[in-house]
Amino acid sequence: MTRILGPWETFLLVVLVLIYAANAWISPEFLTLQNQVNLFQLSIEKVTIALVMAFVIINAEIDLSVGSMMGLSACAFATLVGEAGVPAALACLLCLGVGLAGGFLNGWFVARMGLPSLVVTLATLIGFRGVARILLEDRSIGSFPDWFAALGQRGLIGPIPLGLLSFVLLFVLLYVVLERGGFGRKTYVIGVSRDVAEFAGLDTARHKILIFMASGLVAAYAGLLFAARVGAVRGDVGQGFELDIITMVLLGGVSIFGGSGTLTGVGLAILIVLSLRNGMSLMNVTGHIQTGVVGLLLIASVLIPRLGTRLARRSPA
Amino acid sequence: MMKTLGLAALLATSATMALAQAKTLTPGQEVDMVLLPKFLGILVFDQAHEGAQEAHAELQNPGELLFQGPTPENSVAGQIEIMTTAGTQGVGAVMLSNNAGDQIVPAAQAAAESGTKIVTWDSPIPNGEGESVFIAQVDFEETGRVMADMAHEIMGGEGQFAVLSASPDAANQNAWIASLESVLASDEKYANLELVETVYGNDQSEESYNRALALVDSHPDLKLIMAPTTVGIQAAAKAMQDEGLCEQVKVSGLGLPAEMASYSLNGCAPQFALWDFRDLGYLTYQVAYGLATGQLTGEEGETFVAGRMGEYTIEADPGREGAKRVLMGPFTVYTAENVEAAAN
Repeated sequence: MTRILGPWETFLLVVLVLIYAANAWISPEFLTLQNQVNLFQLSIEKVTIALVMAFVIINAEIDLSVGSMMGLSACAFATLVGEAGVPAALACLLCLGVGLAGGFLNGWFVARMGLPSLVVTLATLIGFRGVARILLEDRSIGSFPDWFAALGQRGLIGPIPLGLLSFVLLFVLLYVVLERGGFGRKTYVIGVSRDVAEFAGLDTARHKILIFMASGLVAAYAGLLFAARVGAVRGDVGQGFELDIITMVLLGGVSIFGGSGTLTGVGLAILIVLSLRNGMSLMNVTGHIQTGVVGLLLIASVLIPRLGTRLARRSPA
Repeated sequence: MMKTLGLAALLATSATMALAQAKTLTPGQEVDMVLLPKFLGILVFDQAHEGAQEAHAELQNPGELLFQGPTPENSVAGQIEIMTTAGTQGVGAVMLSNNAGDQIVPAAQAAAESGTKIVTWDSPIPNGEGESVFIAQVDFEETGRVMADMAHEIMGGEGQFAVLSASPDAANQNAWIASLESVLASDEKYANLELVETVYGNDQSEESYNRALALVDSHPDLKLIMAPTTVGIQAAAKAMQDEGLCEQVKVSGLGLPAEMASYSLNGCAPQFALWDFRDLGYLTYQVAYGLATGQLTGEEGETFVAGRMGEYTIEADPGREGAKRVLMGPFTVYTAENVEAAAN
């Protein structure tokens, strides 16, 4: 058990089971299939991005620009389809290309120029958002083709919509990549120490650029998911999402200093945050209190165990 | 209001005929209701909640009336989430002041499909999809004329003014601004009033305050800021007062007497207008209750009695094709003379 689930993941699993049990006990609607689908759908963009953010942070970097890239992709899509009359399928591909390019830009500055990712992606957070705002200004563009809206709003396989399906597939894919393959091992090694990894002959710059490109690509994809799900786009799409995303990754046990953490932990943390919020919504707890409760959970779960390890390290000396 | 007055006159002459048409709601039927404002922490929405509570008690609904709103920074996503959850819970009716533009449509349609009635108030769903009926506080066309008249009087008939609105996706404000623009363009009386710019403070005090100051900087000849939002007008009036600009730039628009009294008295905001948000909440609840309990069908031409407020009729919404509304009205214009009495 502990080989698959470390102590932190086991702890998260226990918390998750408790939340599910409490929710199911209090609210008869919680365990219905529709509610379980909605639970993911309402935050599907954030949780999808969180999976790749785990790679970025394990690699000892940060990508603050994901929310803005989401907005840029959604706004570019709306402009292309709503104003330029570009077919929606082609517009989707172009937007994913924008995501790759934006990710490359981030990665290039970080890995080749040696700038801190905090600074680089803070700059692109502002820059990408700026372009998104220029594209749409104060307007809202909607009326996308029916097939596009259906992908965001209707079940693709039974009641399961595209977003949830792609989230599960992406989780499986990234789990295999991170925990079973060479790419994953390199991600950890570089995250622990870039210098050591360089010394061992790894092309760390190339590796980092690839991860940032994946981050940009998935953020752009999330922007398209958002456009399809709500059916209309405006300049503030995805604004502030980066903090929620990073929060879920850290709650999952990924170290902000890089080098450690698992995708299983991140998956469990995502489920905890979503089910906690959903349960509170079903109990008609207001938004202010929901934010407060999630905040308290984070303080409790992110800070306390780290204090614990610190004390544990000190005591033998 | 004129229509209601007309109906009342009709009632007096041929009482039996009119009474037969207007439906009276049977109290005591159980239905859970959600009142969903644009976001929490705004006085007018709390007042609407009070009105809804009054109707809830009067109609002796054994079900729950929940006041559920998102946080200001999460308004759109929060409204979508609350709407979705309400559908899941099988709530009888959601009373929505829409801040999400057409972005709310998929969630509203899903909730409507699961049997929840969506009644909008204050701000409708722009394309009307998913919505049963909109409770319009005032005639949206009339709003433009009221604002144009206030601007005309404050500015002495000529000069530059700007609009400070809420969020760019607020259907109510957008409709009022459009109506203001068309009134300005169509009536010779306003030929010398120039609307130079429309900016958005997103109903956040600080943002609105800064936008107001920026307007003064970018338009040196500006004589008036017209803010069709209770948050914007207060922030703009405070900004002009703080910077000592009240002699030069006046503020007007839609404001709450309680929040605007001091600015009316010191001349920063000589005139502004509003309707009663308690009445709006009360009327909205009556309609939502009627629809959710099946007593009202929501068809055009349906006439009903809304408790203490009297008779209303569901009619086609002239501003939104295919959508329906109930028109409340009227406007009250506040000045230094009457603002203090209304503020308490």
